[in-house]
Amino acid sequence: MNLIDNKFFLPKKLLNNRITYFIVLLLILFNFTSCKKKTGVDNRLVYWSSNNIYEIEFAKYVVGEWNKNHPDLPPIKYQPVPEGESSEEIILAAVVGKTTPDIYSNIWQGDVEAYAQAGVLIPLDTLKGFNDFIYQRSDSSVVDEVRSSDGHIYQVPWKINPVMMMYNKKIISNLGLKDAPRTYDEYFKSAKLFQRDANGDGYVDRWIGFSAIKTSWWQRFFDFYPLYLAASNGAPLIKNNKVVFNNKYAIGVFTFLRELYAKNYFPKERLSNRQDVFLSSVIATRFTGPWEIEHANKFKPKGFKFSFSSMPVPDGHKGPVYTYGDPKNIVIFNTSKNPQLAWDFIKFFVSKKNDFKFLKLTSQLPRRKNIERDSLFLEYFNKHPKMKIFAKQSKYIRGTDVSPVLKEVFDMISQEYEASVIYGTKTPEQAINDAAKSVSLLLYNQGK
Amino acid sequence: MIPYLIISPYIIFFLIFIAFPVLFSIFLTFNKWNIISPMQFSGFKNYIRLFQDALFFKSIYNTFIFLAINIPLQIVIALFLAEILNQKIKFRGFFRAAFFLPVVVSGVVVTILWQQLYGFDTGLLNRILVSLGFGRIGWLIDPKLAMPSIAIMATWKNVGLYIVLFLVGFQTVPKQYYEAADLEGASHWQKFFKITMPMINPTIFLVVILSTVGGFSLFIEPYILTGGGPLNSTLSAVLYIYKEGFFYYHMGYASTLGLFFALIIVSVVVIQKKFIEKEV
Repeated sequence: MNLIDNKFFLPKKLLNNRITYFIVLLLILFNFTSCKKKTGVDNRLVYWSSNNIYEIEFAKYVVGEWNKNHPDLPPIKYQPVPEGESSEEIILAAVVGKTTPDIYSNIWQGDVEAYAQAGVLIPLDTLKGFNDFIYQRSDSSVVDEVRSSDGHIYQVPWKINPVMMMYNKKIISNLGLKDAPRTYDEYFKSAKLFQRDANGDGYVDRWIGFSAIKTSWWQRFFDFYPLYLAASNGAPLIKNNKVVFNNKYAIGVFTFLRELYAKNYFPKERLSNRQDVFLSSVIATRFTGPWEIEHANKFKPKGFKFSFSSMPVPDGHKGPVYTYGDPKNIVIFNTSKNPQLAWDFIKFFVSKKNDFKFLKLTSQLPRRKNIERDSLFLEYFNKHPKMKIFAKQSKYIRGTDVSPVLKEVFDMISQEYEASVIYGTKTPEQAINDAAKSVSLLLYNQGK
Repeated sequence: MIPYLIISPYIIFFLIFIAFPVLFSIFLTFNKWNIISPMQFSGFKNYIRLFQDALFFKSIYNTFIFLAINIPLQIVIALFLAEILNQKIKFRGFFRAAFFLPVVVSGVVVTILWQQLYGFDTGLLNRILVSLGFGRIGWLIDPKLAMPSIAIMATWKNVGLYIVLFLVGFQTVPKQYYEAADLEGASHWQKFFKITMPMINPTIFLVVILSTVGGFSLFIEPYILTGGGPLNSTLSAVLYIYKEGFFYYHMGYASTLGLFFALIIVSVVVIQKKFIEKEV
């Protein structure tokens, strides 16, 4: 049937007018439904925390204290970061939609440079009192670490979760060792002693350690990167937008890990599908952070004892043993109505008293200099000796290098890691060299 | 006015969720944009990069490998099972429902289930193999086996749908043909290959098209099971495009890859159509 013959069709002019009215009506309707009714000016500052239950508790406490003590100031409105696949995605969506909070804690240090270059963060060093504060809280090396490529500082170093070697005390002792293996050589010897086929099916089922074989970029924070920092005394991967990881330390780490897989001291299996392999003594060591303490204490079998030690280092290593600190920091977004007030709140948020409260509530370390010697914190560390190990390590940690393409850098290293370390299709030298070439090209294109 | 009013929800939906994204995506192919920074015009740079991107072509190759295993496997198994389920066998209703069940289960759930089956050390398949005296197989950790393993899993997940389609196809074959064949003394399988198969060619075409389009959109399985590894052997084109777009936020480049890949899909489907139509 020809639609034009339809009796419902009207003369063209009238039809056009009606369509116009209809569209206008729809637009008005959309306008009414999509706009919130605004009554008065909302001068509250919005603060987003992570949605970790302990951090929520801490955030509620601090915001409550602040609002109680500053009734004359616009109040702080607190909420956990909205639910999503990851907090990074939520923040990105908020940046795009210009709905970012005034303050956000728990931003990964490696993400800050991209946001800073996009101009969505407030340079904190332009705010009153920031420079005095930051040097009081942090060592100059930490300040340098968080300084962006344009010379400004956009983040307050807040908390860390250093990656260390967790080990099963009983296994280590049964192997006839006094302490956890500290060097590559000691690690290999322990691995050889511990490796066995417990159920007699012809396959090794006890390994010295395990690291996920997935190539996700962040997976390298639990193997390559902390081992690289440990071997190199905390050397960067990238400096001034140039690759600096094409060195003997990176090659040494790849060689070390490659041998672990080649000799089946580390399984190629995905052990995450089964019961906790560390607590069930299937593996003797694990590279992980302090968050494991609570989990292990809760689920460990009777008599199970564990502790933490620094990451293994090359034989003959001299100096302190660095590791990756997994730093999360605090930023102020440029949508903030009152950045100075937001900054004043952050100062209160990371005050010594509140850092202590944070440690007690969350079992995460504030990134504060000399924390392991501070009398306020000492009592806690004496009661929690495992956390004391992390506090001592906190002096020798590194965060991430300053680059807006850090995830891609780690992804490229990860690709070569898989080829060389896990599947042995490239020598460590070739793999590091190829990774360096890919990253150099990436940085070159980024800089253009 | 009323007809326009009636179709307006779809038109609005189409304009907002289909037409605009497609046009915007084409526009993005000429730009560099990471969502948070302002867009920069980049001319044909994304297209030049595409033709130099070995990993993208590897991901397309991987996708074709998947299709090459998945489509024939799916059709053969679906046809075989449909033929059996078309007979008057005991518990026919139960089996028909059982084979269809994986189709309605979420892809994520199915993938996690198969992750347990494929495990090297503790997976059920390897446990069975070892108990029978065979060696373990690196289903997902051997670069040569990972994609075939995913294809087997995808076949298990989707075959129920194609069984249903073939069962419907079987009903369209006139009964007289079989009666005539019976009079000539044709065996069951002779009737199947000489009558049923040629008569259900349109259904086979539909199944091939659906499998092809479904196979080209391979994403959940490698994303959850292998992350594209080992050694990029299960990196499908869609997974690669997703990583470029929503992981690195290379929106311009991801759009270029998406557009190019869409053209490949259209070309393959057109070729398939011509080829199968000739056969019919």
